[in-house]
Amino acid sequence: MDKSLKTPEQTQRYLRAAVGLLALGAIAFSAMGVVVREGEAVLITRFGRPLRADTQAGLHWKLPWPIDQSFLLDMRRRVYETGHTEMLTRDKKNIIARTFVVWRVGDALAFTQAIGTQGDAEGKLDGLLTNAAIGTLGGHDLSALVSTNPSDLQVDQIEAELLSSTAPVALHNYGVTIEQIRLERLALPQENVSAVFDQMRAERRQFAAKFEAEGELEASRIRSEAQLEAARTQAKGAEETARVRGEAAAQVAKTYADAQKVDPALYKFTRSLESLDKLVRSGTSLILRTDSEPFSLLESKDQK
Amino acid sequence: MRKLGPPSEIRRLAAPVARLIDGAWQRMHWWIATMAVLYLLSGITIVKPDEVAVILRWGRLVGSIPALQQHGPGLLFAFPRPVDEVVRVQVKRVSEVQVMTLMSTAAGGGDEEDDEDEAVPDLTSLSPLQGYAITGDHNIVHVSMMARYRVREPAEWAFYGAKSEDILRVEVTAAMVRSLGEMGVDRVLADGRKDLIARATRRAQAGLDASRSGLELTSLELISLTPPQALVADFDAVQSAFIEAETKKKFAQAFAESAIPEAQGGADAAIQEARAQASADLARANGDAAAFLALDREYRANPVVVRERLYRDAVEQAISSAGHVRWVPPPVGGSYHGFRITIGPATAAGGSSEDR
Repeated sequence: MDKSLKTPEQTQRYLRAAVGLLALGAIAFSAMGVVVREGEAVLITRFGRPLRADTQAGLHWKLPWPIDQSFLLDMRRRVYETGHTEMLTRDKKNIIARTFVVWRVGDALAFTQAIGTQGDAEGKLDGLLTNAAIGTLGGHDLSALVSTNPSDLQVDQIEAELLSSTAPVALHNYGVTIEQIRLERLALPQENVSAVFDQMRAERRQFAAKFEAEGELEASRIRSEAQLEAARTQAKGAEETARVRGEAAAQVAKTYADAQKVDPALYKFTRSLESLDKLVRSGTSLILRTDSEPFSLLESKDQK
Repeated sequence: MRKLGPPSEIRRLAAPVARLIDGAWQRMHWWIATMAVLYLLSGITIVKPDEVAVILRWGRLVGSIPALQQHGPGLLFAFPRPVDEVVRVQVKRVSEVQVMTLMSTAAGGGDEEDDEDEAVPDLTSLSPLQGYAITGDHNIVHVSMMARYRVREPAEWAFYGAKSEDILRVEVTAAMVRSLGEMGVDRVLADGRKDLIARATRRAQAGLDASRSGLELTSLELISLTPPQALVADFDAVQSAFIEAETKKKFAQAFAESAIPEAQGGADAAIQEARAQASADLARANGDAAAFLALDREYRANPVVVRERLYRDAVEQAISSAGHVRWVPPPVGGSYHGFRITIGPATAAGGSSEDR
């Protein structure tokens, strides 16, 4: 503060000069400097005629107004979707396709000349794209677009064809660079949809019937296999049972035979006695001679 | 200065301005100095943790490769405007966008003016403006998706990238249309969903890269994937036929699982019974044999007595158990003459013998 007070004259002079220079610089810069931001471009016109386009971001210069004028251009990429367009494939199927493009200003000068700085580039692109789509799809079968067989599909190729048929034209005519074209949607003409529905419905019914029949078949197969297995098990059981019974009978017979062999006569005797016991029941009438065993005793006594 | 004697006109015009500057400086030179310092410091920026910043110097990106262009979180020194401009981009934040382009508007994709005049939507057909996709086997399905994304290349996205929602919508739609176009409807509706999503995600990301959007698709989710409304019943019928078939098979399996052990059980029981019977028979035979041998021992010792006893026991037993016993005398002269026997329940009691 002391210093400034010492030489107020000097300080004032410097200050005035600095402020004056700053003001002059600012005025000159605003009149002649052009800051081109990333994502933008600036078109310079001289007396209204396009002179050059500064597309490189950074600081550029121009002559002050009214000699040169600058116009800002948006260099960002943009997405444009075409309308739904009905077209015919090579195999004479009607299909509705919609494509989209990712585009940007490629040639700023050409773009402003063809379309202007605020112009509607997309309206011009639409016709180009639609025509290209009609032309390209007309050279392919429907199965190139939708198919479960991968070798039929040619979507990559179709998109490449679309790009190669539109990109040079777009750049040359409109200064637009097309970076990407894709098929966005595929649809069917409304009048064909009901036929597709019918076909889908028929297919569904067929599937339902197939599942039903298969279920039935499989179930009965499982059942009959089980029955067969059960029968087999039972037969095996019956066989085993018979074997056990047979062995037992043989052993029983052998046991009896072994016993008989000791005294066949006695066996025969006891067997006949047993038979007698078994044969005589309460309904049996016995007729015996009076001289037979128990009574022969009395008889012989009488006779003697 | 006075001696130079510049045109007095300029001096006269500049005099009030000079006075103003002088006066302002004298009264508020601290204030002006502070403002100047603050302006010089205004280029210093704080970059937040989820952000990345890039610097534009005279509008041009500073740094030749992405690693040098991008500045991470922290304090970033830059010149004040208009020399430098700091652009901050949120790179960690994941945004989401619903893609309803393949969804029928009737099912809630937004209202179309042509739908409003007909209250009941026409189920037998679909306008091409209604969202749907065609599968590889020429079926129609409706799809709605949720795409989540974040910025991967901040500079590319911020200055050159297309609008995020636009580019995502079209890329995801195209990728889904294409992926559905190579798959059958049954795969898509059943076990092929994961595959479908994987294919669509890969394609959409490839598209986002090809169009240099600077975006990364972090996830793509199916909100719904349905057949057209008119055909829902038919698709359901297939589903229920399938379930029914499975149920039938399960029942058959249950039958099999009970029938086979049952048969086995029956067989085992029969075998066990036969074995029991066999051992009983054998035991009886052994008992009989032992009894016979015992009798035989006794018989050998006293043949006559034993034989007699056995005989008499048997005969007594027979006579006592017989219902009717009739005695006849021994034949005279070796034959019976005029001796008749009639047998019948009525005569059993008395008149069986007439006379000789």
